[in-house]
Amino acid sequence: MREPRNPFRMRTSEHIESEITFLRLFGPGVLDLLPKENLWDRVQIFRSAPGGGKTSLFRVFTPSSLITLHEFRANEDYKELYQRMKDFDVVSSSGPHLLGIMLSCARNYAMLEDLNLDPSRKERLLYSLLNSRLILAALRGALALKKLHYPNDLDRINIAAPAHGELSLQMPVPGTGKDLYEWALSVEKGICEIIDSFGPSSQETLEGHDNLNSLSLVRPECIMYDGTPIASRVLVMFDDVHKLTTLQRHKLLTTLFDLRPSLGVWLAERFEALSPEELLSSGATTGRDYATPINLEDFWRSSGNSRQFENAVTNIADRRAKSARDVQIASFDGCLQESLDGNEWQSRFEEAINIVSQRVQKRVRSTKRYEEWLRARDNIEQTPREHAIGWRTLEILIERDIRKAQSSFDFVLPLEDLEGREVPAVRGAAEFFISQEFNIPYYFGISRLATLSSSNIDQFLAFGGGLFEEIVSAALLRRQTLLTPDRQESILKKVVQQRWEEIPRRILNGRDVQKFLLAIYHCAKWETNRPSAPYAPGVTGIALTMADRDKLIDPKFRSKHPEYNRLIHTLSTCLSHNLLEASLDRSQGQKGKTWMLLYLNRWLCLHFQLPLQYGGWRPQTLDELCMWLEQGFQPPKRNGGGLISLI
Amino acid sequence: MRRGVNFNKFWEEYFQSEGRNLLYVLGRGFDPRMCAGLEAILKSGGSGVRNCLRIEFDEGPNSSSTRHAPLVSKNISKLNGMLQDRGNLLPKQVKMWSDEGPGRHRIGSRSAAEVFSDKSDFEPYTDIVIDISAMPRSIYLPLIGKTLFLIDRAKENNSIKPIPNLHIVVAEDAKLDRRIRDDGIDDNASYIHGFGSDLEMEATAGIPKIWMPILGEEQAAQLERIYNLINPDEVCPVLPFPSINPRRGDELLVEYRELLFDQWRVEPRNIIYASEQNPFETYRQIHQAVCLYNKVLSPLSGCKTVVSAMSSKLLSIGALLAAYELGVRMSVGIANIEAQGYNMDDNVTSEEELFTLWLAGDCYDP
Repeated sequence: MREPRNPFRMRTSEHIESEITFLRLFGPGVLDLLPKENLWDRVQIFRSAPGGGKTSLFRVFTPSSLITLHEFRANEDYKELYQRMKDFDVVSSSGPHLLGIMLSCARNYAMLEDLNLDPSRKERLLYSLLNSRLILAALRGALALKKLHYPNDLDRINIAAPAHGELSLQMPVPGTGKDLYEWALSVEKGICEIIDSFGPSSQETLEGHDNLNSLSLVRPECIMYDGTPIASRVLVMFDDVHKLTTLQRHKLLTTLFDLRPSLGVWLAERFEALSPEELLSSGATTGRDYATPINLEDFWRSSGNSRQFENAVTNIADRRAKSARDVQIASFDGCLQESLDGNEWQSRFEEAINIVSQRVQKRVRSTKRYEEWLRARDNIEQTPREHAIGWRTLEILIERDIRKAQSSFDFVLPLEDLEGREVPAVRGAAEFFISQEFNIPYYFGISRLATLSSSNIDQFLAFGGGLFEEIVSAALLRRQTLLTPDRQESILKKVVQQRWEEIPRRILNGRDVQKFLLAIYHCAKWETNRPSAPYAPGVTGIALTMADRDKLIDPKFRSKHPEYNRLIHTLSTCLSHNLLEASLDRSQGQKGKTWMLLYLNRWLCLHFQLPLQYGGWRPQTLDELCMWLEQGFQPPKRNGGGLISLI
Repeated sequence: MRRGVNFNKFWEEYFQSEGRNLLYVLGRGFDPRMCAGLEAILKSGGSGVRNCLRIEFDEGPNSSSTRHAPLVSKNISKLNGMLQDRGNLLPKQVKMWSDEGPGRHRIGSRSAAEVFSDKSDFEPYTDIVIDISAMPRSIYLPLIGKTLFLIDRAKENNSIKPIPNLHIVVAEDAKLDRRIRDDGIDDNASYIHGFGSDLEMEATAGIPKIWMPILGEEQAAQLERIYNLINPDEVCPVLPFPSINPRRGDELLVEYRELLFDQWRVEPRNIIYASEQNPFETYRQIHQAVCLYNKVLSPLSGCKTVVSAMSSKLLSIGALLAAYELGVRMSVGIANIEAQGYNMDDNVTSEEELFTLWLAGDCYDP
């Protein structure tokens, strides 16, 4: 394959065939996801929407990646990653210490369920297929770790019987790797023929296995090379677990938790593997003897980690930019103009200052209450941009005060009062309103690009790819590679427009999903664009009470009320495709009430021209949401301009 | 292969020679071309039975195809009227989903392969005609594959006489095809039943994989998802040339520029050209490319090849023939992706051209 022109387009890990390229593009910050303790002796589930970075994370621990990393450890591009992996004790100057066995569950396991067999036979065939493939993957990994040729050098590996754990009776253990390979190959081939043949199946000849007993065999002490264990530890990584059927996935998880293998077993799955109940429970599985699942997006979103995410994706972007074929770009964010303080925007901000200040003065001309605030704003020394935002902030605060202080005396408000009220959220709202009213870019710069990605690396690469395309073209034409804020925004808008249009085609029940998201947008717009900006910087989500959420996930309630089925399927599709971000048990607002917050994915905020900050949400009932699916959002009638009671 | 006026000529001449008992297989659907082939064949005269096996596939209540229910009823009425005393109508259900609810998965491809379970199903007939005009790929590819398999086995064992002829009928209308769009594409692609067994084996996971997608318009999401299933080492896009619109190949390259050249980094020299309206040309091109790749990569134990037909139904037959024939001695499969339903613009009319392809039987026997 050719070298990449736009490396941001090389999206999923599987598509990057060379280990050198993969490791060069891998951002070590992603390793922050891994727990610091008990990583190598328990079952750990990783979940995310598509493109969250699960497969890339697993791939770093495979033999070929570790060997490449070890070989290139002195190279500047790989030093940081090498150090991080060394800290995990999987590689050192003597070489890799870990045999990472990665097995995709995307292959034809699900088809076993369609065979005309009794359930116990299907289960046995599933274990057989998993056992054979796990052994084959382990043997290939073992040879790769020793830089031997697969399958020709299999007889240089010896397999010892495990001290504990049962094996399938037919497994040729103890024996050579070749013996075990032949056995696993015949098992796999037999099952694949049963699954896919046009002819009559010969399943009677296949007895199947009654457990995942290959896990007893893929242990350091069982796989020997030159009389010594192949590695000091083994990690089994099941990728794409969501591609198993519901029953198979349940069997696999139950078996793993029952077996409690004393080696690291990681599972990666997309949210779509979860039932609507699990999705709306945020996939939490508590009270069991295994590690809490790591939801990748949730991890990055959790407090303190959003900065880490920005750093991680900036690092990934720089690595990609550096590896472009036709241009030499050292830093991606260096190509994104971050400021609006240049001359080209001054006239626009000055126009904003004039219009907003006149509007404010007109609004308060009959009162002296805001005299000091106005004077202070007039005399302040700031850039035109800051000044315009300052005036718009003042307008919001005055509007709020007027609404609150209808009957209060006309005392002049002190300056300290203004300073106390001028919190970042209000300034954020003011900045957003200015950008909307005066057509000034808002969605630009690396920080907002990271926010737009809603903690999803693939999403970041999609947006970054759009921007980088322009940078590459500019470089080829020997033009300025620095993208102006308006150009950045226009490129990003085009990318999200395309994403939006593709929803009905790309997502099951996509039309319902689009309708529902549009209703959230109309609700958010209606609330955000009110003069006093009551939910500054703006509404970008909705909330259900946890009591309503509990009703939705209760099968009994749903069987009594089938009218909610469409809603729950739409909600779970939105969550599994990362179109909505859920946050449970939030106790904001009315005392004693807890909420499930559902925020729009930030790319939808760009599409709908909403602010990017979190925090603004509006409560809804189940019936209202069902109504949205039928008729869309209907603005409630306001009584004398009053607000719907909320926070 | 015969098309247009030669379609009618062929069938008229074919029926003149002797009495022929025909099993005509078609799919129940909203496509206005559903009955066109049968209508033309019935008009061609001849004696013998004209039974019609109507394959019924239910895409589920949420399918966007359900909005075309009146068109389906119209087609069914037309079909009933056409057969009358010429033969029986034999409805056959093909289950598309394993179950109801969120845990369900596609089984249409496997079910379609079970429409004919045994060679005895063919015994009353001299000719099997499969009309794919109103069938999705996931139905007609395994159905034709299984029919070919049963005919070949019957030939080998000399177990039924006469061995039936197999014909494929397609009503092509490129304009109409463009007005029928996939809606709610599945998240995951899969291999067509009967065309994927050894492609997913762990034991041979290191063998290079070559993917030959036959490109058609507006298939980016489908192509991406099939790519994710296969994860090929090399992509050889098949472009339509010669084609009615001579720029069609170029336009497809422009449409998929980012996917082909930026994401997948396809070498321009990998592009294969095949005639837009001749499936046998597609078959030859794919056959030749697969054999060459296997020869070149023989030091690496050969290669696994996957074909995907994302273009017209006619060309997909070429892909199927190549995969079927080569699959006996090489690792060749067909990957496909399905959609929840199909959306068709209102008030469309069809200006189809009928094609008939004789795939197995007397004309191939010495």
